[in-house]
Amino acid sequence: MQNKLTPRFLLIGLVLVWGLWSLWPTIKLQTLSENEKNLLSEQGDLESLESRAIKQGLDLKGGMYIALEVDIPTLIENIAINKDRKLTSVFESIRQEILISPETDFFNAFSNLINDKEVKLSRYYYDYGSSSDDIITALKTEAEDAIDRVLEILQNRIDQFGVAEPTIQKQGTQRIIVELAGVQNSERARALLESTALLEFYLVKDITTTNDFMIKVDQILKKDNSISSITKDADPPKNKIDSDSSNDKTVSVSELFGAAESSSENDSAIVNQDMFAERPFSSLLRNLGNSIGVPEKNAFAIRKLINKPEVNDRLASIGANFLFSHKAEEYVLNDGSVENMYTLYLLDDQAELTGGVVEEAKANLGPQGTTSAGQPIVNLSMNSDGARKWAIMTGSNIGRQVAIVLDSKVHMAPNIREKISGGGTLIEGFANIDEAKDIAIVLRAGALPAPVDIIEERVVGPSLGADSVKRGTQSVLIGLAIVLIFILLYYRTAGSIADFALIWNLVLVLAILASLQATLTLPGIAGLILTVGMSIDANVIIFERIREELDKGKTAKAAIDGGYNRALTTIVDANMTTLIAALVLWQFGTGPIRGFATVLFWGILISMFTAIFVTRTIFNAFVNRKGFKKLNI
Amino acid sequence: MRILKNSNFDFMSKKPLALGLSGFIVFAGLISLLANGGPKLSIDFKGGTFVAVQYTEEINVENVRSKMSNINIDGQNFDFSKEEVKHFGNKNAVSIRVPHIENSPSNFAQKIAVHLFKSFPNKAPDDMNEFVLSKGKISPKIGSELSGKAVMAIFSALALILLYISIRFEFKFALGAIAALTHDILITLGMFSLLSYEISLPIIAAFLTIVGYSLNDTIVIFDRIRENLKSSKNQAYSLVVNSSINESLSRTVITSLTTFVVVFILWVFGGEVIHNFAFAMIIGVIVGTYSSIYIASTLVIYLHEKSIN
Repeated sequence: MQNKLTPRFLLIGLVLVWGLWSLWPTIKLQTLSENEKNLLSEQGDLESLESRAIKQGLDLKGGMYIALEVDIPTLIENIAINKDRKLTSVFESIRQEILISPETDFFNAFSNLINDKEVKLSRYYYDYGSSSDDIITALKTEAEDAIDRVLEILQNRIDQFGVAEPTIQKQGTQRIIVELAGVQNSERARALLESTALLEFYLVKDITTTNDFMIKVDQILKKDNSISSITKDADPPKNKIDSDSSNDKTVSVSELFGAAESSSENDSAIVNQDMFAERPFSSLLRNLGNSIGVPEKNAFAIRKLINKPEVNDRLASIGANFLFSHKAEEYVLNDGSVENMYTLYLLDDQAELTGGVVEEAKANLGPQGTTSAGQPIVNLSMNSDGARKWAIMTGSNIGRQVAIVLDSKVHMAPNIREKISGGGTLIEGFANIDEAKDIAIVLRAGALPAPVDIIEERVVGPSLGADSVKRGTQSVLIGLAIVLIFILLYYRTAGSIADFALIWNLVLVLAILASLQATLTLPGIAGLILTVGMSIDANVIIFERIREELDKGKTAKAAIDGGYNRALTTIVDANMTTLIAALVLWQFGTGPIRGFATVLFWGILISMFTAIFVTRTIFNAFVNRKGFKKLNI
Repeated sequence: MRILKNSNFDFMSKKPLALGLSGFIVFAGLISLLANGGPKLSIDFKGGTFVAVQYTEEINVENVRSKMSNINIDGQNFDFSKEEVKHFGNKNAVSIRVPHIENSPSNFAQKIAVHLFKSFPNKAPDDMNEFVLSKGKISPKIGSELSGKAVMAIFSALALILLYISIRFEFKFALGAIAALTHDILITLGMFSLLSYEISLPIIAAFLTIVGYSLNDTIVIFDRIRENLKSSKNQAYSLVVNSSINESLSRTVITSLTTFVVVFILWVFGGEVIHNFAFAMIIGVIVGTYSSIYIASTLVIYLHEKSIN
């Protein structure tokens, strides 16, 4: 008999050794102190240890999960040449369509629309082929390439940012999932991912042009009856625009550039609503000496106004574009009050130079003796082509302002004092050195070929994560203890064997998680608890059967054989259905849910091994040993 | 120690009472679901923004709510005083959920968190990172995809299980099991609706676990019925079913009890994140055990009697 059992014990022993070996890195990592960790990290051993240990999910460790979607319509629109109204309108209607039914496939909608509107694609995309079908196929490839490039660039940025164990992966055709476990400052990481990093240099329109244009915008908008609604009717409970009218001081168009200083005092006394009717645009703005201020509270209204089609048409006719400064700053007004304001710039609509020419970007503090002394700045150096263009541009525009624009926000707009050769330049206007460092990272990694939208974002703060771990572990341990004690009391000797198998089951599930490099999430812990339940159930089914057999007067050995044989089909059938549920969950689930399904799946498989095979082997050995009298069950 | 040794309860005689009770609870749940226009879906499925923050001392939900009535973010004014504001786990923490707003400002969640931070400067911790427990945004696009997937998951699980039981047992057993599952899910959904709890992503996982658990229980009884049918061909069908339920009763009680204890502890100690998941499981364990006896087995008897006549 002993001989027959030996291979079974050998198998169990091997599995046990494998389980402990797989779990070893996790246990070691858990018991290390901070100092020991630092020491290991210096030796470069920490990483290999971590890679073999069970990973904790974002919900346990804290961290961020971000799903980005590459803006394919904008990508395709950007690579078009000779863009005109017709093409723009195609993209506008596609965007509308996607907004209404999000499942719309861009390329299907695109090819339908160009057929309907009889747009000749070869006009805009002659580099991509001659027939519309060819072009669309080529554009599809282009879009796929773009996602890969986005993936690569984001990877690059994250690497330079320095986060332990980042996960960046493609999902489907236009999504990228980024998981940053344990990231402390999620805001910085977010900004780093979201930024397109499109750096552009534009000339600022001169004051007279700007001044004239403001008057024109006022005139256009005055005719537009829907405008009054911007401050009055647009007052739905959730989304109202606050122009904070009654006590606001306002400026006239002429005052904006100090042309009619004498009247300024009277003008500013005018009640906003009256002025608004007269000058719907400039009444929302403030004069900041040489620039136009947009009070933070009016920013939304102004954005709405400058996006109106009639204003857009007018902007296009003079080849200009409005852009905001990247952040609002405090300004002291005439009456001594302080207001947060953005600066509004009227720029050329063609960039003189783009970030493609940037060779190196470094964050620094501004050198002494300059205007940016002590301020965080980013130093740029350009390649030879960029440096040449930069020199020509600055040389022929001395005295004018050049705006340095990152992701459509003006960072600074210095006056060109002299021709800059050599291709060096600097950007200022950062809140702190961290922001400057991050901008330098994105500029080095390069611009994304298309903008990305954050479509899903989940951040778990470190304190919630720690709390979850504590509570999760606690409830597992309490639940486990109660179950173990109950089974021991209820089934005595047999119960101790079942308890042994149960602990085994947990060890093996964790060992599998470690060797699969799976991630343990909070729902995963719940799955572990359910596994405990399933494993106990198998043993309960077996033990109740053995008791029945014993009641029929069978010997212990026969009862065990009979009990196991009859319980087997029940256990397999019952577990199979749960296994089906686990597989379906795994297929359907994302992140945490998948973690739950993984644990449940392996938990059930292993519980069949431990609750049937392992306990049976022990039972047999127990019954076969010398001096065995009675089975205590 | 042994409980329920050689029990011999006449389960099937209580059938009218049990079916009446089931019918009543399912009906109440359905009425509540209808009145509320379907289950209360969380922002996981509808899209929206959520923020949970932790103050250093106790905070009153109504005070927070009043501070939410007029928030200016990037020049846009918002009134969130009607949205969901509640304590999150303990009295120091609050969570706020806001449905999706078209063209909402970028980094909306963080800006709401900053507003909450500034609204109670005396109670806010020094570090913003300690203040924010969790936050996030889900676009309706993701939400509608998830709803589709969740429905797919539930139905494909049911179909696969139906198939498995039909192969291993008989088709009428499969129908019995599916009826019991539908009953369990309906009651859990109804309870969530009555208590106005939200259906979030983890709750879908809980539902599928309930499906697995309830089936597990049902199949143990079915297995006994299958076995007893072979050995006692002359007995009345319903008697065989009743004695099968009795024979597996002690197992049913022990397993349900241990599972109940485990999920109950999870419910009490598991923390805020897992609280509702555990609650769904508690209902599932109770209803799942009950439905194996009164829904699944009853239907199998009914189908059998119908097929004979």
